[in-house]
Amino acid sequence: MGSILNPLYYAVSWVMVTFHSLLGNIFGKDGNQSIRWSLSIIGLVIVIRIILIPLFVKQIKSQRALTALQPHMKEIQKKHKDDRQKQSEEMMKLYKEHKTNPLASCFPILAQAPIFFALFTVLNGIARNTSHGVLKGDLLLSAQEAKFFGANLSNTFLSSDSNTQTKIVTVILIAFMSATTFITQRQLMVKGMPKMDSSNNMMLQQQKIMLYVFPLIFAVSGVNFPVGVLIYWSTTNLWTFGQQFYVIKRNPTPGSPAYEELAKKRALKNSENGVLPTADENETTQVDPPIEAPKQRQQPSKKKKKRK
Amino acid sequence: MRRAFSVLIKLYQTWISPAFAPRCKYYPSCSTYASDAVTEYGAKGLAMAAWRLIRCNPWSHGGVDYVLTKSSKTPIKALTTSMNGRN
Repeated sequence: MGSILNPLYYAVSWVMVTFHSLLGNIFGKDGNQSIRWSLSIIGLVIVIRIILIPLFVKQIKSQRALTALQPHMKEIQKKHKDDRQKQSEEMMKLYKEHKTNPLASCFPILAQAPIFFALFTVLNGIARNTSHGVLKGDLLLSAQEAKFFGANLSNTFLSSDSNTQTKIVTVILIAFMSATTFITQRQLMVKGMPKMDSSNNMMLQQQKIMLYVFPLIFAVSGVNFPVGVLIYWSTTNLWTFGQQFYVIKRNPTPGSPAYEELAKKRALKNSENGVLPTADENETTQVDPPIEAPKQRQQPSKKKKKRK
Repeated sequence: MRRAFSVLIKLYQTWISPAFAPRCKYYPSCSTYASDAVTEYGAKGLAMAAWRLIRCNPWSHGGVDYVLTKSSKTPIKALTTSMNGRN
């Protein structure tokens, strides 16, 4: 296992060390080790999430392509009202036929798992005085001293040498992780997704899980994780929330409550100003196919569909 | 062994996956597929499940993909039913 992940140890430690030395230009070469190492973990999150942005954009694009499929989708829902299995089958067939699929797949989560594990090992290495990748020598020594609000980055809640400060910081970070997961998923379910018949039922089950099960899972795993890993996890959660917030506000999925809200808002704005919607606004808010001047707007969107 | 795996997946489907928005590109979802595959094929089913998870990626278009029975090669449709679009 170690040898397979070796390149990842190098990558993770290299990103951290690079941020650490770059931040030295801002915070001074000698002091401020704590803030430099803490920020280098946040830097690692930023690098990874930027790498994942193209996937996210791809998904948003295929969600927008759904606008054209909405009549078909409604038809399927009507036709197989009482047979959920058949309904889902037909829906998936429709997506495949049109070579667009609005669902994200597990990949973005699974892709982060090895990185997460590598960071875990690298930080544990700091605590055990073993070097991984390029984090060695003086760098390893200075990382050992690095603290996040008084808690050592490599320390865990359960480790024997963890002080009260560490315990407080871990508990706060675990609470933060639970809260951000809750807010993000709730926002997506309430505003970001097309309404479904079963959504009420799903929402109840979801809330139960997020209020009780998730904090429990986070707490049980979180007490074994170094503070640095918890910082990574919290930051990446925060990023997910921000990314989703932006999309729901600016570019919502067709058919979702947020989409209707935005369409209403834009319509109101246009009627107040007495202007006709511009081509750009039409692209994001259109519910029905364009009635006038279809040539200009339909062509690019059709090309997009074919590419996928 | 096969039973234990199915129970694990059932736990996941009841307690973890509902908290996230549906994200699987296939029907049935990868977790249902895995449960069906292992129940039907055992260890080989595990490899099938892994392959399905790999196929479910941002570059795939998804679709309908059931596990086939060993004997008649017909799709297994009712062993485990999970909610639409979950993993």
